[in-house]
Amino acid sequence: MLEKTGRDAKPVDLAKWSETAPRYSETKRMISVFAGRPLPVIGFVIIALLILVAIFAPFLAPYPPNQMDIINKLQPPNTTHLLGTDSLGRDTLSRIIYGSRTSLIIGISVIAISSAVGIALGLFAAYFGGVIYHVIMRFMDALMAFPMLLLALLVASLLGAGMKNIIIALGIGMIAAPCRLMCGVVLSVKQNDYVMSARAMGMSNLRLMLQEILPNAFPPLLVMITIGLGAVILAEAGLSFLGIGITPPTATWGGMVNDGYKFVMTSPVLAISPGIAIMLVVFGFNMLGDGLRDALDPKLRGVI
Amino acid sequence: MPPLLSVYNLKTYFHTYRGLVKAVDGVSFDINEKEIVGVVGESGCGKSVSMLSVLQLISSPPGEIVDGKVIFEGQDLLQYQPKGETMSSIRGARIAMIFQEPMTSLNPVLTIGRQLTEGLEVHLSMNPQSARERVVELLRLVGIPDAKGRLDAYPHQFSGGMRQRVMIAMALSCNPRILIADEPTTAVDVTTQAQLLELMQDMVVRFKTSLVIVTHNLGVVARYAERIYVMYSGRIVESGLADDIFLNPLHPYTIGLLKCVPQLGETRKERKLVPIQGLPPNLINMPSSCAFLPRCDRARDICRQKPWPSLELIEGQHYVACFRDGPETP
Amino acid sequence: MNQENPGNVIEIKNLRMYFPITRGLLRRRVGEIKAVDDVSFAIKKNETLGLVGESGCGKTTTGRCILRLYKPTAGEIRFNGTDISGMNENRLRLFRSNMGAIFQDPYGSLNPRQTARTIVGMPLIVHGMNDKRQQNNRVEELFKLVGLDASMMTRVPHEFSGGQRQRLGIARALACQPALIICDEPVSALDVSIQAQIINLLEELQEKLGLTYLFIAHDLSVVQHISNRVAVMYLGRIIEIANSRELYENPLHPYTKALLSAVPVPNPVIERKRTRTVLKGEVPSPAAPPPGCHFNPRCNLATPDCAESSPELRDTGNGHQVACFKVQA
Repeated sequence: MLEKTGRDAKPVDLAKWSETAPRYSETKRMISVFAGRPLPVIGFVIIALLILVAIFAPFLAPYPPNQMDIINKLQPPNTTHLLGTDSLGRDTLSRIIYGSRTSLIIGISVIAISSAVGIALGLFAAYFGGVIYHVIMRFMDALMAFPMLLLALLVASLLGAGMKNIIIALGIGMIAAPCRLMCGVVLSVKQNDYVMSARAMGMSNLRLMLQEILPNAFPPLLVMITIGLGAVILAEAGLSFLGIGITPPTATWGGMVNDGYKFVMTSPVLAISPGIAIMLVVFGFNMLGDGLRDALDPKLRGVI
Repeated sequence: MPPLLSVYNLKTYFHTYRGLVKAVDGVSFDINEKEIVGVVGESGCGKSVSMLSVLQLISSPPGEIVDGKVIFEGQDLLQYQPKGETMSSIRGARIAMIFQEPMTSLNPVLTIGRQLTEGLEVHLSMNPQSARERVVELLRLVGIPDAKGRLDAYPHQFSGGMRQRVMIAMALSCNPRILIADEPTTAVDVTTQAQLLELMQDMVVRFKTSLVIVTHNLGVVARYAERIYVMYSGRIVESGLADDIFLNPLHPYTIGLLKCVPQLGETRKERKLVPIQGLPPNLINMPSSCAFLPRCDRARDICRQKPWPSLELIEGQHYVACFRDGPETP
Repeated sequence: MNQENPGNVIEIKNLRMYFPITRGLLRRRVGEIKAVDDVSFAIKKNETLGLVGESGCGKTTTGRCILRLYKPTAGEIRFNGTDISGMNENRLRLFRSNMGAIFQDPYGSLNPRQTARTIVGMPLIVHGMNDKRQQNNRVEELFKLVGLDASMMTRVPHEFSGGQRQRLGIARALACQPALIICDEPVSALDVSIQAQIINLLEELQEKLGLTYLFIAHDLSVVQHISNRVAVMYLGRIIEIANSRELYENPLHPYTKALLSAVPVPNPVIERKRTRTVLKGEVPSPAAPPPGCHFNPRCNLATPDCAESSPELRDTGNGHQVACFKVQA
């Protein structure tokens, strides 16, 4: 009861027929996964614009950010001031453009501090286990239970307000998340036979952690760092809005919302435009993070 | 008597990121009543995908059943919607399947009794009382001690081997005509494997069910199967009675397979293993000629020039897809 | 050095590895799993000892104790006369170049973010071969030895097939010219046609380099094929050791007999003639093994006194050792 089957195609060219899996680039695959979805690309464009704007702020801003012009205060958007002016007559657009610098500097510094410390602690906790694990993780639990706002207030009241202290406060407050993530990832990476094999060949602990474990634990961290940048910018805006962040007159989006909301009935653009900037950037980082998560997904790697 | 299940020229393709994968490419086979059939091949040869295609359990996308007929009890199953009513009334009830991962095949939050009676109530419209009675009977048959008391237990309260038995009971609960066991014993130890296969054999004889054992283990098919299909890269390369395949293998792949597995009782001093050279082909963008050609030790010019030959009857029920005739190259 | 038999590369004496079972926040010790319980054996130079048993029997733990990935609870592990069971981490690190390890999963045992060259060369770097050119030459040599093309050195693991990955694992194990290689299920994750290639490669390497293997696997036919002697484990204990041929032809322990009969042979004619003994029940939990001989609840020869005390391995002649009260020899 078997029917004849046959393929009506050309004879084989053996030279073209590779016996091994064809070489293919992991990077290329990741880019194509990332670029194949619209939202991550939009996120990428937003973040790229943010970085460009921050770098070229002096060339893009029509006015210096702190140049006051009391006579022309609280102007609605017009041709000379595209987004109007605030209560001190400063150009809103210029302040938003300069505010991107503040946001980025704080975002990057805070993430650098919190990730470096958090990753190191998480790596140690998971790699050594036992008492070290318990001490570090209980400390992180305590840190997480402590509201970030309270911590920032504490630091601000101890060290005073200002960019440096905000970075310290947020930096400490955000250690727990990368630490816990790292700990979880390392606990699972540690199970792999290649870690066992590295131990069996006599590799030192430090080398094992840096060479075998860390690179394999990195992808989820990258995603978290990206999304974390958005969270930090949002947190900084919140602190500045409450007036315990960056000291005036430095342009910050959170501070601008704070300044503007008193005039929300008369000049809504003052509060809304920096608010939109915050929203866009946080959205951008989140979308970028989501795209990275899909692109770095090991389940999608190497599958046919 | 016509076969219970006839599959003609089945083609299942997967559209993947790296290209078209012809996982099953023109497979035809029959399952007769009360027969134990073995389907052997290495990973990626399409043995599991063929069986899943019969039940239309291929997730689409990326999978797609491109062509073919699956004639079961006189009707072509492929004409029905995969998620339609007809297919669900056949799946589990008329053709049952046991999967590779026994641990994940049972729902952890439902009791064993509930999971087993559900099929009976849905497929055979039994009332809860008689369904329960039948389940107790089934559990007793598969060797679960204190079957009645265990009905209200949850899967995690059973050991691995017991869960496998529950799976077998579940598969047989609606009295299916065909039981397909997809690598049923890959994840278990040899002694458990022996227990389960013996049980399965007993059960299909008792229930007059046909059994299809899909496996990579040549020993298992030699022990249990009456008829065997050997698959290689999406095609059947040889089929026949167990004795045909093991005592008089004709396809170079089958011959190679038999030479490369160590046999119990043989040490390396007595027989060195003869491996099949090379690697299984990459299924993406395959050439039209015999897929085994690059690894074949008896390849001839005709193999390179002509497309993959179709299965030819040799004698009895022994079919082979190979240009065997003509002068052999030394 | 106090060595009993100078021909032995490795000697294990009364090895025990107990893992504590802890419960609660304070990690109170509520029991222990006797993963390896009083195991002794020795492997001669150039010999392959097969270690078979079902999952949970302690064969992998035994291998890992020898590799000193675990610190054994008790017992001696003598490598060329030196007891390494209590060696501290620093001394061990240098010592580890004497042993190689091949793992089961060819996907999990190679770091996915390193190139093949780095993976194979890593033991060299760890053990102080710092000269780049020397390293490269050795890696190239190793590639050739295991039958891989040197042009593939820059590839990363996912660009290799399963068999090729296992070849990489073998090359890495051989890098420092170890005397002993622990092969933990090296072929069980591979396709049958690839298995033979790897088995043959291991056999050839052994002849060429004079290696000694501990071959751990659950597949009795593979173990029997590659090993000179085979040890059968059940719930943490060795219950029978014999010459590979002898074990097949004259198995003494009832468990060994059941194990052999459970393995199907790819030949229907032989299969039809075989008697199949199907074991009843399942392997008990190693946390609560049955008293006496661990096999007694499933054994068809068991009498009440089998649950009283546990049998020791005893020689029945010709190096065939068995741990059973009921076997007459």
